[in-house]
Amino acid sequence: MKNLKKLFCGVLSLAMVLGLAACGGGNGDRGNAAQGEGKVPIIGVSQYGQHASLNNCREGFLKGLEEAGLKEGTDYTIDYQNASFDDNMAIQIAQAFSAEDAALMVGIATSAATACYAAAEDKDIPVIFTAITDPVGAKLDSGNITGTSDVLPVEGQLKLIRALQPEAKRIGIVYTTSEANSVYSLGVYQEKAAAYGFTIEAVGITAQAEVTQAVDSLIAKGVDCFSNLTDNNVVGVLGSILEKTNEAKIPVYGSEIEQMKLGCVAGAGLDYIQLGIQTGKLAAKVLTGEAVCQDLPYEVIENFSLYTNSKALAKMGLTLPDEVAKTAQEVGETA
Amino acid sequence: MSDLIVSTLTQGLIYALLSYGVYITYSVLDFPDLTVDSSFPLGAAVTAILLLGGVNPWLTLLCAAGAGAVAGLCTGFIHVRLGVRDLLAGIITMTALSSINLVIAGSNVTVERAIDTIFTSPPVMALLGDLTLSGRKLVVALVLAVAVKVLLDLYFCTKSGLLLRAVGDNSTLVTALAKNKGNMKVLGVVIANALVALCGGVLCQEQRSYSAVMGIGQVVFGLATVIIGISIIRFFARSKVAQGMRKVKGLRFLATPKGTTAVLLGSILYKFCVQIAINAGLPAHMLKFITAALFLVVLVVAGRRGEEIIHA
Repeated sequence: MKNLKKLFCGVLSLAMVLGLAACGGGNGDRGNAAQGEGKVPIIGVSQYGQHASLNNCREGFLKGLEEAGLKEGTDYTIDYQNASFDDNMAIQIAQAFSAEDAALMVGIATSAATACYAAAEDKDIPVIFTAITDPVGAKLDSGNITGTSDVLPVEGQLKLIRALQPEAKRIGIVYTTSEANSVYSLGVYQEKAAAYGFTIEAVGITAQAEVTQAVDSLIAKGVDCFSNLTDNNVVGVLGSILEKTNEAKIPVYGSEIEQMKLGCVAGAGLDYIQLGIQTGKLAAKVLTGEAVCQDLPYEVIENFSLYTNSKALAKMGLTLPDEVAKTAQEVGETA
Repeated sequence: MSDLIVSTLTQGLIYALLSYGVYITYSVLDFPDLTVDSSFPLGAAVTAILLLGGVNPWLTLLCAAGAGAVAGLCTGFIHVRLGVRDLLAGIITMTALSSINLVIAGSNVTVERAIDTIFTSPPVMALLGDLTLSGRKLVVALVLAVAVKVLLDLYFCTKSGLLLRAVGDNSTLVTALAKNKGNMKVLGVVIANALVALCGGVLCQEQRSYSAVMGIGQVVFGLATVIIGISIIRFFARSKVAQGMRKVKGLRFLATPKGTTAVLLGSILYKFCVQIAINAGLPAHMLKFITAALFLVVLVVAGRRGEEIIHA
């Protein structure tokens, strides 16, 4: 038994030393590569968690780099890490990027971006963010950092709801009180709703487990429809929300293409792949030295699109007015 | 390589403050305190708002610790005076505090680079101005972690500290000494949460940001560091090396390390395990699995219970 333990101990020490040496060796090589002439610079991509929208952001980002004329392997290499929605993990990921002398750090979602920005301070590495709704509020709008905002086209959404439901008065919104993006978007809704003759019934939640209760309470209050933000907790259980709303015959409007695929009736939404592409092009400018972050203001998505799900519309007995149908894109997979 | 070691070590040292707190409740008092998940962001929220308000960065840390102490007082009061079970008392304060945190600082706060933190404050710059920012972060974190450890060790040897340890080991003794064990428990939870909030405050200054969700999983982290640290120290204390050291007069004190040393090491080791996982070059979604596997290896190696850990 004692020998076994000694063996274990030896194996552990060896593993740790090798582990550190391996990452050290790797970093050394890559670090030199970043500094050496004609070598390939590293782009550290830190994604806050596994999530359809954030994955699309990353995919789009890689596409955007290619569209800007850069080639992976010769112009850049990607070091992609995913923090599994863990702030501490995001911090250490960002520090690893700094240690390997990344030429550029990319933070997808707020916590990933702020961690990158903190780790980048010492070496003044440029940081590109995406999927942040309110970069001004997050104070990421100045300094060696820029990126793209996924601010929602709220007015487009309100117009769409008015066109589909001329009689509707009250819009139900469920949001997470600790998600900065959601709190900001809700504020925009509350500000603009009156101009389109709506009032907003909002219910705040603190955890994903509370979403269905919140939906129940809004149904009981008799809202005419639901409109989704890009709230991670809400979008994460969209399936069970739709079960309830289908039963109650209340349409749900989505904020992003994936939500319409899953059964929201329609939405003026973001296409995160497009947002990612825009981010990739921005990053390419910084990487090639064409511009510095300080001179590039953050960007919002250029155009939003209308997405519809005809099966879901039929289920709710809604018909698409012609002027909406002309510009909308049918994406429905299930209702 | 050296950059990575410096930044990982810094994280480990900063988080040691939280680990001391969890050590006091979980290991010394035998009180599973879940307040931590909210008192940690509470410290960060208070620090962030005060920093934005132009308050001296060192003073903000005191305020953060004070806020954490109040949170601990609530948990202690609910448990001891209102007779709610310890686990539930922590859950109640944690739940209520998450709203308080939102009231204090909203869901996200970023502290601009123009605002001084403890790592860029004039006294630190005067002493360590030649170092890089990462270097200064390491030195300041080291000083904080060691200073708090020494203070705790000294406290555990005072009359009050001895009573605190007795509450966890043998509370009947405390009653027999005509002391109120309830008050001692409250005191322990207060100190623990003050340390946790202090950790939140330091991390907020290091990261220049606060987020309402930064506390998620901190209890688990704290427990892991305490258990890993104590297992390793026990393993060491049983080893031939330690036995040999006990025979040499000058080295005797090193051969039986204190609990605070254990959790300090545990915290650093934890952060290194995560960093190794990040650098392992495996797919990003395997990160947590690798981290878990590394912990398992550490715990198996450190093995079974042996000599009891010395609290002070």
